[in-house]
Amino acid sequence: MSHSDGTSGGDDFPFQTPTTGETTREERWSRTIDRTILAPMRIILSDWRGKVGVTILALYLFMGIAGPYLISPPETDTAHTLVGPFEMWQYPLGTDSSGRSLLADVVHATPPMLKMVFAGGVFAVTVGSIVGMVAGYKGGRVDQALMVITDSLMAIPGLPLIIVLAFLFEPRNPYLVGVILAIPAWAVLARSIRSQMLPLRNVEYVEANRLMGISTWKIILKDIAPNLMPYILVSFVSASRGIVFDSVALYFLGVLPTTDPNWGVTMDTAYSSGGALYSWGAAHWLIAPMLAVVFLSLGLILVAQAADKLFNPRIRARHQKTTASEDDEGEHEPQTPANANVR
Amino acid sequence: MAAKERERAEPKPDDVIMSVEDVTVRFGMDRGESRVLDSVSMDIHRNEILGIVGESGSGKSMFADALLDAVVDPGRVDGSITYYTDDGEPVDVLDLDKESLRTFRWEHVSMVFQGAMNSFNPTMDIRGHFVETLEAHDYDVESGLEHARELLEALYLDPDRVLDSYPHELSGGMSQRALIALSLVLEPDVLVMDEPTAALDLLMQRSILSLLETVKDEYDLTIVFITHDLPLVTGLADRIAVLYAFDFVEVGTAANLFENPSHPYTRSLLKAIPTLDTPLDEIKPIEGSSPDPVSLPTGCTYHPRCSLADDRCKDEEPAFHDVPADDGHRTACFHWEDAADEIPLTSDDETDTTTEIVGEQSDEALLSLSDVEVHFEQQVGLLESFFSDPSPVRAVDGVSLDIYENDVVALVGESGCGKTTLGKTIVAAQRPTGGEITYSGQDIWDAKDGEGDIEIPYGEIRKALQIIHQDPGSSLNPNRTVMANLEVPFKQWNTEMDHNDREKRILSMLEHVGMSPPRDYAHRYPHQLSGGEQQRVALIRALSMNPGVIFADEAVSALDVSLRVEMMDLMLELQDVFDTSFLFTSHNLSNARYLSASVDGRIAVMYLGEIVEIGPGEEVISNPKHPYTKILKWSTEDIDTEGEVAESPLREIDIPDPIDPPSGCSFHTRCPDARKACTEHDPLLTHDDSSAHHAACFREYPEDHPYWDSEPLSEATDETDDSSGSALEAGD
Repeated sequence: MSHSDGTSGGDDFPFQTPTTGETTREERWSRTIDRTILAPMRIILSDWRGKVGVTILALYLFMGIAGPYLISPPETDTAHTLVGPFEMWQYPLGTDSSGRSLLADVVHATPPMLKMVFAGGVFAVTVGSIVGMVAGYKGGRVDQALMVITDSLMAIPGLPLIIVLAFLFEPRNPYLVGVILAIPAWAVLARSIRSQMLPLRNVEYVEANRLMGISTWKIILKDIAPNLMPYILVSFVSASRGIVFDSVALYFLGVLPTTDPNWGVTMDTAYSSGGALYSWGAAHWLIAPMLAVVFLSLGLILVAQAADKLFNPRIRARHQKTTASEDDEGEHEPQTPANANVR
Repeated sequence: MAAKERERAEPKPDDVIMSVEDVTVRFGMDRGESRVLDSVSMDIHRNEILGIVGESGSGKSMFADALLDAVVDPGRVDGSITYYTDDGEPVDVLDLDKESLRTFRWEHVSMVFQGAMNSFNPTMDIRGHFVETLEAHDYDVESGLEHARELLEALYLDPDRVLDSYPHELSGGMSQRALIALSLVLEPDVLVMDEPTAALDLLMQRSILSLLETVKDEYDLTIVFITHDLPLVTGLADRIAVLYAFDFVEVGTAANLFENPSHPYTRSLLKAIPTLDTPLDEIKPIEGSSPDPVSLPTGCTYHPRCSLADDRCKDEEPAFHDVPADDGHRTACFHWEDAADEIPLTSDDETDTTTEIVGEQSDEALLSLSDVEVHFEQQVGLLESFFSDPSPVRAVDGVSLDIYENDVVALVGESGCGKTTLGKTIVAAQRPTGGEITYSGQDIWDAKDGEGDIEIPYGEIRKALQIIHQDPGSSLNPNRTVMANLEVPFKQWNTEMDHNDREKRILSMLEHVGMSPPRDYAHRYPHQLSGGEQQRVALIRALSMNPGVIFADEAVSALDVSLRVEMMDLMLELQDVFDTSFLFTSHNLSNARYLSASVDGRIAVMYLGEIVEIGPGEEVISNPKHPYTKILKWSTEDIDTEGEVAESPLREIDIPDPIDPPSGCSFHTRCPDARKACTEHDPLLTHDDSSAHHAACFREYPEDHPYWDSEPLSEATDETDDSSGSALEAGD
């Protein structure tokens, strides 16, 4: 008799057919869609923060995708300089000292900003998580080597590094700008992910899967990553916010090419040539791009807070229509803190 | 004042120290109101030990919390709990303001929680905990610490050493005892213990129980001892109350309740627990599961699981009936008179219906271990400063063992004896530091490293060796459904199977282990299953690899008592279906007996990384040869309900440190039969090839062995061992 020779479907496996019928393809699809798309959406939207956050981000996305087609690029209009906001239908947010529409300015700066945020956030989170997870899971030499790299990167001050890189490459491509801005961000994430990996590495179900010969990658992705997702998500958001702030700051300072449309460039001209800090008449010139920054960052934070619950299987099960009813959960005692402190 | 007068109007018997009347605890939940204590009434007498017995989810921890008015926040407590001070003054516990509640807890009533490890602050030494408690209650620290020393000594701990240690430096049993001392330092009158020994192995449980009796007498204590283990508490408690579905169903003196239980639940519970002498086919699990606190059954809450239930039980809640023969024995059942006939505790009919599954074990060993050692290097850091010369922890120290096809081996031993490490080494989850382990003749680690001629590739060996963990809660990926969890092995190894094939197999296996309807279960998440169901899923996941050997690490000890037998039956049945071998670990000899004896398996007793006795299951239990096995048997035996808890035969309670095991026979420091020769030479396990039952003890050697002429150690130590401290020093 030989064990573990189940290489073909028709082996001597004792259980081949259940007494119930088969699942149809449609059922399976509806289940997958429910689990992967509908349930997460329901969870996010069940929270007011999620509703507001998703709305804000959707607006920005709309502004980034359709905005440039709906609103023509800003042009100088010497007849209408420094028009205040909500004064003229033509310029809802007013104009600057050369009569350029601030709304057009803000809208046309959105697509590159979104590209930067996307590229930078994704870069920081993927590199950081992968390095952290591999180092934490593998341990030993791999861990040491990876940590030497991250530690040295952390030791280099981030802003000067970016300034030097920006000077060397003079990046125009927003994706490249995003990646450069994210370089200092991933090291911190990798460090903290690694430390959170250490206890997860020896969790029972991970060990059981390892003994089944499941590959390291599958174990990391399916068994370990979901436990770190809330943290990774928050890191994604903070990295994205960091990119927004950094890029605005660097454009404002003129480190990045000022000919590109960016909220920072608008702020810079408002500050340096418009004197927006000193006169009420020009204040809207500064405020409009600032609000664009604030709302984008707010939307990201709200979505992250609402999505925190996404990775809690208890909440997921409740929002999943195709999962068994929740009534059976009551087999367990109401959750009492293990250790109500009575001292 | 009015309340006080009412109390005087209906006087309580003098000896009542706490009186619980009609207490209900409610939790508002999404799906409705959950009643986790349902109009409970109970009088606790002064200086008694009251045992509260119930399965998990029966509300027993809630009862403990209610006694201290410590029910956590969303919970609401109704009813009244009255505490009588030494002068007989009644105190309404639920009515105390914050400050008086703070003094009431710990100074009048204190509590010992289940996991001592979690009750201590890991960054503070034990002395810090004592000082903090004394200061918080404005006690004199100096004299309080003096009292603490006395308490620690009474619990067989070395006060100096324990006070200066940090929690992680103490073993589980030691920290649990330190916690008991901490809860007694303010000299409370009532001690509430919520499963104080559940996390410990049986031997330590018994040892702590025998100490509790002395401590109780010395300090005039009333103890409320909450546990799921009915036999454990019968020897200790004066009275026992059985809790089922959030209310008491039977109350009586320990002897009455144990010998003449009258509630069908109590009787079934006693029958469901494997013991050392009950015939195997008489152990019967209780069908069904405990009810949901949100939708309790109407009438008697036990009626859905009760074989005596009739229409009256469904509609009417039974009141307490006095059992006339026994004083103070009351039971909440309409049919208590018939219970004894319906559920006999011992069957008289001699119809021998044992369906013995005789394993067809192969002659060739499937797995063979020779002289395997696993030594863990000490971590550099804190510990290093204590041991100037860091030495390895000898978790497994020279074990040779063969496992055949269709074999069952149960490893038994205290916690810390290395049984889990040995098990993991056997299924190649842990690389041994010495010796070799072969699978069908192929050295496993050579195959993994690609050294020498490899006859069986490592991948194949990997598939053939599987594991089932102790804690069902963490053995499944909580983020994936049952189906996704179970698909993993099929996706990995049977890549050509399509979705339908996989689903068919998974559903039919779920159905086979009694999770029906399977389609419903398959799409649940692990947290939506009960502990027993989670363990079944873990079991079929391991089996779906079609492995040769499965290592089940304490696979039933986390389950409810009433479910264990069912789970063990299932494992043994599937062992037969899948033609696999099982390696079980357990600290409980009766579970080991149940697992090994019914399929003709073996029991191996481990002590400090070595196998000290091995033999056929029933043979080892009924005729133990090694003194250690005899002591394990003592810890498992039913206690005589009449007498006190017997003194532990061990010369020393705590297991020696595996970093520096004793010379010669490693058991000699605790062995009641040790002689001088044992300190010098190490007995061999297989010194006699004539039988299948071996023990590593000189007492099994022929009469001409020097052991028989050397000095016994026990008298010698008794003389010098007046203070318990010196005996413990050896454990350093």
